[in-house]
Amino acid sequence: MIGPIISSGLVSHAWDNIFAVFIGMGFGFALESSGFSSSRKIIGTFFGYDFVVVKVFFTAAIVASMGLLYLSYLGLVDFSQLYIQPTFLTSAIVGGIIMGIGFSMGGFCPGTSLCAAAVGRLDGLVFFGGMFLGVFLFSESFPIFENMYYSGSQGAKMINSAFGISPELFTFFLVLAAVGMFFGAAWVQKKVKKVEY
Amino acid sequence: MERKYTILAVLLIVLALGLVVLQKKKELKETDPKSLLMAIAEKSRFLSADQVTHRIIENDPTLMLIDLRPTDQFKKFTLPGSINIQPDSLLSKGTLELLNQPGKDKVLYGNSDLTAEKAWVLGTRLSISRLYILKGGLNEWYNTIIKPGDVSATASSADLDLVSFRNAARQFFTGAGKTSDATDDSKSYEKVNVLRKAPAAKSGGGC
Repeated sequence: MIGPIISSGLVSHAWDNIFAVFIGMGFGFALESSGFSSSRKIIGTFFGYDFVVVKVFFTAAIVASMGLLYLSYLGLVDFSQLYIQPTFLTSAIVGGIIMGIGFSMGGFCPGTSLCAAAVGRLDGLVFFGGMFLGVFLFSESFPIFENMYYSGSQGAKMINSAFGISPELFTFFLVLAAVGMFFGAAWVQKKVKKVEY
Repeated sequence: MERKYTILAVLLIVLALGLVVLQKKKELKETDPKSLLMAIAEKSRFLSADQVTHRIIENDPTLMLIDLRPTDQFKKFTLPGSINIQPDSLLSKGTLELLNQPGKDKVLYGNSDLTAEKAWVLGTRLSISRLYILKGGLNEWYNTIIKPGDVSATASSADLDLVSFRNAARQFFTGAGKTSDATDDSKSYEKVNVLRKAPAAKSGGGC
């Protein structure tokens, strides 16, 4: 775990796995209680009868970004202590396409497939097995993909700096987009024939 | 759309607008002389060759190695993953953006401590956080990791652990088990005279 609490030395690295277990349990509980263990519910986004996935992830994004910015403003979080995952543009695009195809075909993303497997859904178990097979094949053939994997390195790039605006202004636009999406999704959902699942 | 969702949406927009109104100008501040003096007296700015090596081998994503040596020396040899920055371009916009990367431990090094110390003082004055110096520079790193000294016969187990770590690190960086100047050919082995035990007298019977 890389976060302000551990990297500032307040909590030892030995607690990493303990934190990981509790955060994982909380994440799994939130996924299951939102109905994310059902592939039909997740796939509803692509057919327009259920937008819960988009709503949940947009809500998570705006709550986290606004929360961090307010905590930073109040001096409770030091932004320099946060770890930013470096951007590798090519692998992000290729990985995104593969992930999108897998998501729409299987009806799960990696986290939700684990959630479905945990509650005993067969489709979740199959997806989970396939995911492991994919990870194994990728690891074994990594030297073939290595150049592509590391290409398009942009460092710890922030989207607001790419647009040349402040993080606060970017978050404001993100919130406007999210609110627009919430209302738009509700409108589409009304128009599309309801699916029982 | 239910009324409660409309209220929540309005609340979200107001909160987001609050961020834009409250946003503070994040100017690069300069450290005051007293704090700078305290930071200079503090030895925690130094990272040993072993500490840095350990983090390189572990592929620590928070480690950013900055090689301050001339470009020709950098091209000949550098620590894995290092970025070459010339001391005269230390105050350029691009370099400052790089050094202000959040969540990274920036480790400065030259051939010795001299250039790195100057760059560290400059960076610390500009309030760049998590700035460190590789103790002794690349020369000490080479002498510690690639060309370590002999181990004393009375070395403690901690010292022996350190030596075995350095040996493993040397293999990691060079792919070799031994230093280049320690060749086996130069050693001459004494011939060992094997004294064979005389065969025991045959027993005269019994069990």
